[in-house]
Amino acid sequence: MPTETETPVKGAATLEEVVNRQLGRRAFLKLTGLGVFTAAAGSLPAVLEAATPKLRTQRRYGMVIDLKRCVNCKACTIACKLENKTPPGVVYNPVIEEEIGEYPYVQRRWFPKPCFHCDKPPCTGVCPVTATYKRKEDGIVIVDYDKCIGCRYCITACPYGARFFDFGENYPAHTTAYGQVPSPEFQGEYGLRREGKSPVGNVRKCTFCLHLQDAQGRYTRPPACSETCMAKAIHFGDFASESNGGCITHEGCNLKRLLVEHRWIRLKEELGTEPSVYYTL
Amino acid sequence: MTNLNRREFLKVAGITGAGLLGSGALRPITAMAKEETARGPYDGGAWIPSCCHMCGGTTGILCQVVDGRLVRIKPNDDNPVGFTNISDDFFANAAKEGAVMCPKGNAGIMALYDSDRLRKPLKRTNPNKGIGVDPRWKEISWEEAYTEIASRLKTLRDAGEAHKLLWLSEDHCFTHVQGDFCKLFGTPNYSMHSNLCDTGRKASFKILMGDERPLIDAINSKYMLIFGWNPLSATKWSHLPRIITRGIERGARLVIVDPHLSYTASKAHEWVPIRPGTDGALALAMAHVILRDGLQDARFIEEWVAGFEEFKDYVKDKTPQWAEGITTVPAERIERLAREFATTKPALVDIWSGAHHTNGVYTGWAIGTLAAITGNIEKPGTLVLPVKKGGKHIEVEPDEAAAKTLKQPRLDGGKGKWPYFHSSGVYAEIVSRMADGQGPYPPRMAVIVFQNLLMSMVGTKNTEEALRKLEFIVVVDTMLSETAEFADIVIPGTTYFERYDLNNHWVTWPVLGLRQPVVKPLFGQPAEYEFVCELGRRLGLKEANDKDLFWAGRMSGQRIEDKTRWYEEWLSKELKEGEPKITLEELKALPGATWVSQKGTKYNKHQEVISQEKLADSTIEENLIFSKKKDGSKDKPIGMLKSDGTAVRGFFTPSGKLELFVAKHKGKKDADGKPLNPLPVYEPREWQPNAEYPLFLINWKEASQTHSRTQNNAFLAELKATDGLRINAKTAAKLGIRDGDWVWVESPHGKVRMKAQLTQGIHPEVVGTQHGWGHWAMGRIAKGRGSHTGFLAPTKACALSGQALNKEICVRIYRA
Repeated sequence: MPTETETPVKGAATLEEVVNRQLGRRAFLKLTGLGVFTAAAGSLPAVLEAATPKLRTQRRYGMVIDLKRCVNCKACTIACKLENKTPPGVVYNPVIEEEIGEYPYVQRRWFPKPCFHCDKPPCTGVCPVTATYKRKEDGIVIVDYDKCIGCRYCITACPYGARFFDFGENYPAHTTAYGQVPSPEFQGEYGLRREGKSPVGNVRKCTFCLHLQDAQGRYTRPPACSETCMAKAIHFGDFASESNGGCITHEGCNLKRLLVEHRWIRLKEELGTEPSVYYTL
Repeated sequence: MTNLNRREFLKVAGITGAGLLGSGALRPITAMAKEETARGPYDGGAWIPSCCHMCGGTTGILCQVVDGRLVRIKPNDDNPVGFTNISDDFFANAAKEGAVMCPKGNAGIMALYDSDRLRKPLKRTNPNKGIGVDPRWKEISWEEAYTEIASRLKTLRDAGEAHKLLWLSEDHCFTHVQGDFCKLFGTPNYSMHSNLCDTGRKASFKILMGDERPLIDAINSKYMLIFGWNPLSATKWSHLPRIITRGIERGARLVIVDPHLSYTASKAHEWVPIRPGTDGALALAMAHVILRDGLQDARFIEEWVAGFEEFKDYVKDKTPQWAEGITTVPAERIERLAREFATTKPALVDIWSGAHHTNGVYTGWAIGTLAAITGNIEKPGTLVLPVKKGGKHIEVEPDEAAAKTLKQPRLDGGKGKWPYFHSSGVYAEIVSRMADGQGPYPPRMAVIVFQNLLMSMVGTKNTEEALRKLEFIVVVDTMLSETAEFADIVIPGTTYFERYDLNNHWVTWPVLGLRQPVVKPLFGQPAEYEFVCELGRRLGLKEANDKDLFWAGRMSGQRIEDKTRWYEEWLSKELKEGEPKITLEELKALPGATWVSQKGTKYNKHQEVISQEKLADSTIEENLIFSKKKDGSKDKPIGMLKSDGTAVRGFFTPSGKLELFVAKHKGKKDADGKPLNPLPVYEPREWQPNAEYPLFLINWKEASQTHSRTQNNAFLAELKATDGLRINAKTAAKLGIRDGDWVWVESPHGKVRMKAQLTQGIHPEVVGTQHGWGHWAMGRIAKGRGSHTGFLAPTKACALSGQALNKEICVRIYRA
C-alpha cells in the first residue's frame, strides 16, 4: 500500500473554479435527499486548457457521467459488486432516483453515484489515524484497511454518502466456490474474505477500480461500472492527460471536450469539495 | 493492424485486442488470457468468450476462470448483441466503445454460485400435490432417476400413447435436441416459452409484413413512437439502451405510449399515458389524421401496400375525438403526434408486450399500419426485417411408431385452432384443457425444462389443477421452483456457465454466438442435452432409417460414448450445414467465439431482384414465388412478381405487399369461434372494469429481474428487494390508501396482499407491478418477497395467436 498522505492545497485553482470565475453564473436546483446541485452553465475551451497545467497531481482520474444517456438500468451498481466482490450492504456505486411532478406531467430522474474522489475531500481530514487519504499520484481517495480503526467518522463527514461500513455480512454464495476467490481490491492484497479480518470492520468506498492499474498507474481495463454501462454514459479517464482526450472507457472521447460541449454540474458545489465526477445534462 | 487494437491502453500494452472486425481471422482462446496482464494473486486464468443466459437476450460475455472457478464476467466486444443491431455501427464503433452488459448479466456469478441450487436428483415421497404441500423429497441417485424416467417413458410409448407426453422448455437453449427427442419419441406436444412473451406481436407483424419479428433501427431514427414497451429497462437485447439514447443524441424524438411511467417513458421526450388495451384506437386515429391531411407516402403505398382503400375507408370515422373517449389521450395531442410522426423521417413505430390483451393482434397490426402508410419500413431508421441465418437444424425422421402418434392432434389444438398459431404452442390452452379434461385426450406425463408455469402462467389456481392431473412430472431446473414442487422427480440443471448453446442472434444481419461451458457443472450433473441424450439412448430411440441419433456422432458418423463429445459433433454439424460453414472448434477460435457475417445489414430487401438462377429453381403461384422442396412441391416464399413482371423479394404475405386488408380472413374463425376481421379493427378488450372491479391491473419488466426466474439472485435482490402495487396518488386518496399501506388486490379469481406505492406516474384508472415477485419456493432469498398476480387472472390466451393474456385483469383494492 502506498502511504503518502496529502492535505488539500488551498487556493489552487481547479478547472471548474476557473470556469465559474470566468462565466460568473450559477444556477441552483434542488434534489431531494441530496441537497443542492450546482449547475455551471457552458464553458470555454481556452479556459479549460489554461486550467489543465495547474492540476496538482500527475494524473487526475475522474468521470464525466452523461445523464442524457443514463437509463437507470443499474448495471454499474452490479458490475461494481462483481468486480470488487463487495459484501451485502456495501454498494460503491448506487443509482439514486426520485419522482417529480404531478400526473400527467411527471418524471422520474436519477443518477449513478460513485465516490467523487474530491479534490478537497472532506472525509480524509477527520480520520484520526490518517487511514484515508487522497493519492498524490492520481487523485484517487482510498482507505488503508491496515490503518482503519472503523470509527466511521469519515462516513459522517462525506456529504455524498459515498462511504460504507463493512459489518462482515456475506452473501449466501460465500459458502460456495465464490467465497474461495479473493477480492481484487488493492491488487488482491487482502486475500480471502474472513471473519474479523480487514476489510471486515473497515470503512469501504469506490476506488475507481485502482486494482485495474498497471505498475505505471495506467488502466489496463476501464473501471467495471464504466466498462459495462449499457448506454455508454460513464466516461472514465485522466483529466490531466495531455493526449487523446484522456478517456479510458471510450476511444476517441475527449473528457475536456465533453465538459465544453455540454452543460454540466457537480454535486453540492457550494461545499467546495471539488468532485472529480462531473454530470453532463 | 491498427484497427485490430480496440483501445488505447491495449495499444500501449502492445497486445491485440478483441476487436478483430474481420472475423475470418482465427484466434485461439488462450490469446484472450494475454489480454490482461497478471497483476496479482486474484488475477490470471483465462477469459473465455461465451454468451449470457440470464435472459433470452444472449449477450456476448467474457468469463474469467481461475483454477476452475468463475471469477469475473465482462462484455464481449466481438459479439454485436451487447452493442448494436446494425452492422455499420458495429464494424465502425464496437472496437472503440466496447460492448455492454446489463445488471443481470453482471449478477450471473450469483446464479452459478447460488447456494440454494439443486445438487442431486430428488424424488417425492408424498403423493399429494398442491401449492404449499411438502413433497417430502428424497435424494436419489442419477441411475435411479434415469431408470425410473426411462421406464415411465417406455411404458407410455409401448402402449402407443407417446403423444400423451408433454414437453415444455425454455426457448433459448438446446431446443433442437429436445424437439428431436419429442419427434423420435412420438409426441406432437413440444412447446416453448414464446407464447408467454411475444407471439401476439409476431402475429401482428406476420399479418402486416409476413415477417414475425422486425427490429427497430433506433440509432438511425429521427422519431421513435413506441407503444407498450419499456426497452431502456426491460432490455430484451442489451444493445437497446445504447442505440435508443444514441438515436436521441442524433436528433430523434422518443414518444412512449404506456399506462405506466416506465423508465423508458421517463427518458422519453413525451409520455403518453393511455387506458390499457386501447392502443389500437390511438393508432387508428393517428392513421385517420395522416390520411385526412394527405401526409401519407403515396408512392410507397402505391407500390408496396395492399388493401389501402379498404383501410382508408375504415379509418374515415376513427377521428381523434373518437379515440379520446376510448384512450383518454386528448384529441389535440393525437392530432399533433400524428402530424409529427408522419412528417419526421425516418420514423419507427413498435409494440411489444403492452398488447397482451384479447384485442392484441389487431392492436399490433393497427400500430404497424402507421409504418406502412408513411413508408417507414425497411429503410434506415425504421422497422427493419432481420436476416437471420445461423446454425441449421438438421431434421430427423421419426420411425413408424413415432410417426403414428405424431399424427395425434396437439393438446392445444395447434394450427387448426389458432389462425396465427406459433410453433411455441399455447400454454394457456394446454393448462385449461388439462384442468377441465376437455382436451382431445388427457396427457399423462410431462417433462418441464426451465419453465415455472405456476409463476409464469396466467391463472395460477388453474395451473395447479392442471399439474395435479398429470400422472408423472419431471422438472429440470437449477432451482427448486414452485413448479418443481409438483414434480415426481426433479433433475438438477446447469447454468449457462456449465453448458453449450448456439445463439442465432437478434440483430439485423446474420450473427451467431457460442455459449460454452466455462466451468464444469458444479455438482457433476449432466448438461440438459446430455440428459436428453441419455434418455434417448435408454429408450433406444432411432430414426426411420434405423440411424442411432443419440449414439452417432453427426460429424464422424462414429458411435460416441461420451455425451459431451456427441453433442459437440451435433453443434459442429449445425454450424457446418448452416450459414457459418465452420466447425465448433473453429467457432471457438473466432474472436469472442462469435461468427459475424461480413455481408452486413441490408435495407430495402423487398426491392431486391431475384436472380435468374433462383427463379429457375422456383415455383410460381399467381404472383408469388416459392422455393421448391426436393419433390418439386412448393416450399418457402422467396418473392413476388410485380405488376411490371419483375421478380423481387417483396414481403412474404399473400399479396407480396404490406397488408392493411386481408381478404383471406373472411369466413375464417379464431379459437373462440369468432369471425376474423379483414381489417386491423379496434374492438374493446373483453374484460373491462366495472363497479365491482373498477381498476385495470397491469404488470411490467425492469432491468433488475428476468421474468420469475432471477428473484433468488443475491446481487439483484439487493438492487430491488421486491415490488409493491403502484397506484396513482389521487386514486389512492379516493380509496383512503396511504403510501406503504398493505392493501388487498382482489379479482373474481383470487386476492393477494401488496404494499401500496403511491406515485404520480401511472394512469389513474390503473394499478400495476413488476412481474415475477411472490415466490413461495425457489430459494431462501426469493421466498416470501412480494406478491404473485397470476392468482388474479383467468387462464386465457389471445384467440388469434395463442399469446397468454398477462395484462387483461381488473381488480378492486382496499386496505388490508
